[in-house]
Amino acid sequence: MSDAQKALGQLVANRRIIVCVGSGGVGKTTVSAVIALQEAIRGRKVLVLTIDPAKRLANSLGVEEIGNDIHRIPIERFTEVGIEPRGELWAMMLDMKESFDAVVRRHASADEANEILGNRIYKYFSTSLAGTQDYAAAERLHELHESGDFDLVVLDTPPTTHALDFLDAPRRLKDAVDNKALQWLYKPSALAGRKGLGIFSVGTSYVMKTLAKFTGAELLDEFATFLRHFSVLFEGLKSRGEAVRKLLLSDDAAFVVVTAADPLTIEEATYMYRKLGDERANVGAFVINRVYEFGFDRDELLRPASSFASRLAEGHPRLADQLTPDAIRDLCERLLANARDFAVLESVDGESIGRLRRAVADDMVIARIPYFHTDVHSLEGLDRARRELFGSDGHT
Amino acid sequence: MSAPNLYDRRLVFFTGKGGVGKTTVSSAFAYSCAQRGERTLLIEINTKDKVSLMFGSEEVGTEITEVEENLYAVNCTPASAMEEYALMMLRVRIVYKAVFENRIIQSFLAAIPGLNELVMLGKAYFHATEKEGDRYVWDKVVVDMPATGHGLFFLQIPQVITSILGSGHMYDEAVSIQRVLSDETFTALNIVTLPEEMPVNETKMLVEAATTKLRIPLGFVVANGIYPPVFDRRELELLGDPADEHERAVFEAAEFRVARSELQQRYLAELHEATPLPVAHFPFVFAEKLDFIVIRTMAESLRDQISSHQDRE
Repeated sequence: MSDAQKALGQLVANRRIIVCVGSGGVGKTTVSAVIALQEAIRGRKVLVLTIDPAKRLANSLGVEEIGNDIHRIPIERFTEVGIEPRGELWAMMLDMKESFDAVVRRHASADEANEILGNRIYKYFSTSLAGTQDYAAAERLHELHESGDFDLVVLDTPPTTHALDFLDAPRRLKDAVDNKALQWLYKPSALAGRKGLGIFSVGTSYVMKTLAKFTGAELLDEFATFLRHFSVLFEGLKSRGEAVRKLLLSDDAAFVVVTAADPLTIEEATYMYRKLGDERANVGAFVINRVYEFGFDRDELLRPASSFASRLAEGHPRLADQLTPDAIRDLCERLLANARDFAVLESVDGESIGRLRRAVADDMVIARIPYFHTDVHSLEGLDRARRELFGSDGHT
Repeated sequence: MSAPNLYDRRLVFFTGKGGVGKTTVSSAFAYSCAQRGERTLLIEINTKDKVSLMFGSEEVGTEITEVEENLYAVNCTPASAMEEYALMMLRVRIVYKAVFENRIIQSFLAAIPGLNELVMLGKAYFHATEKEGDRYVWDKVVVDMPATGHGLFFLQIPQVITSILGSGHMYDEAVSIQRVLSDETFTALNIVTLPEEMPVNETKMLVEAATTKLRIPLGFVVANGIYPPVFDRRELELLGDPADEHERAVFEAAEFRVARSELQQRYLAELHEATPLPVAHFPFVFAEKLDFIVIRTMAESLRDQISSHQDRE
């Protein structure tokens, strides 16, 4: 077991919340599932929570579908390959619209909730308003953590470019509450003590008139109605948001930055790491996914195909039986050309991982998963990635 | 569905899942337009500028910059687009300064749902329809869109606004933008993808959404990162076990190539079957970095594929 494998194992074993962040398309969902599987095999009761609308998690866990309900994953199957899982693996896919609707219902009375849920602006924007997705997920995470039903919750964050939105979401919603300009809109009474006046009386002010010219008065009015209803949630969101943020920054939680190995994505991951650091979030590890790791001998790759051909013909009698010397030579040329192609990628990956190493704290865990021949979408594939990441066959 | 000639459209969008190479493909297409002698503007949407890396130019900011002959680029942020739009409407900078440079007002504007997206889309629309006298200022406006989820939301914004509002500047603006977006002589939305499971699934979803909800004319699906076939699986079976580490690495790379190519071919077939759109193919690039040479090669290949789809009609 390598140092990185051991350190990653210790990290996930000692947390109750793991948040996987990273740019789109890097394999966050797979890595989340792998981490959850590792801990379930070791004996904990684990939930992996995903927001990815795609069916990837379900695919990779080898089940048909995962709904908004908590779904048990049959990992007993591993006994067939000699691993006896000691814990339980559960999965859940958050439906964003439903999740935020639930937040609304939790923080508002039935009548108020209906007003909000029926509002046109809410309907269109509830899943895209600044931070609502992330907020809903964060609140759900908090709730699951509080319930104590699980020893570990692994969260696969939404596929946004700005993964920090997730950590920021509770605060952004809180800021929205405190925003003076918004209060003008939804609390018209706050203005010069003129009670119960709508937006149009506010419009007499120079600023509002100009704004209304810009957006159209109707939008401001519609938005004001929305905010007026929505504002009943604000107190609840504000205090809950604080609690969620505190949990995410506590020692119970660790962030794992998932990245691909190419230079641009590594750069984005490094940026994310710095930003999380600025927020004093606990970044526990990097997982670099799909790394080209063939282990080429560069000098050998540069030698002529003819010498490789004679070597192969000697060492592999079937080849010499079936192919003419010219055909062997031709095959060798292609084998070497292909290897040289991948050697370029291997060295690019190596260099960008080196840059990452230099950019982060000396003791930062950097684990990697090689680029497999096939995609991971079965429990077996997941287990293979797990062994690469944690190095053990399960029980430590 | 007949294959559209992308070069006939004035406003060309590229979207797709994160990490599939949208910027590379947008840059290659924009370069191919510039090479044809069209005055081309490439718009990045609120992202860390990558276009300058492709063309080896200076960093592309919120001001339009020339990156190649006939080819200009700009990185559009919500703040810059908002300012341009507000200035255009208010006409007086001092009014803009008084109102829009107020911090409270700025955070207020940032909170209005859909406004950021609308003004950025508005910028693409503005340049695509911008005229000096009778002449269009730009022959081509190419937009490198945000990744799928957000990209879809983006293109839906004008419809959402018009369904919420009934009047006002934003409403008028949204109506004009929507008219241009759905004009099939003017606009095309292309989807960049990889021959892999998730990107292919997202492509199907996007095609469906574009046809039913967005009503934006579709152009090409661009399948990126395809490994040109090099080996026959049977010849690799003749190799047997490697004799040493060097052979092991070389054999493994060959196995990888074959296994991945087979997977890719399966997903390409699925892509062709599942979408009515023409599919352009781009080979995987084994290079240290994506640079101008890659863009130039891709641009030539794209031009050939677009015209060969025309010939087939």
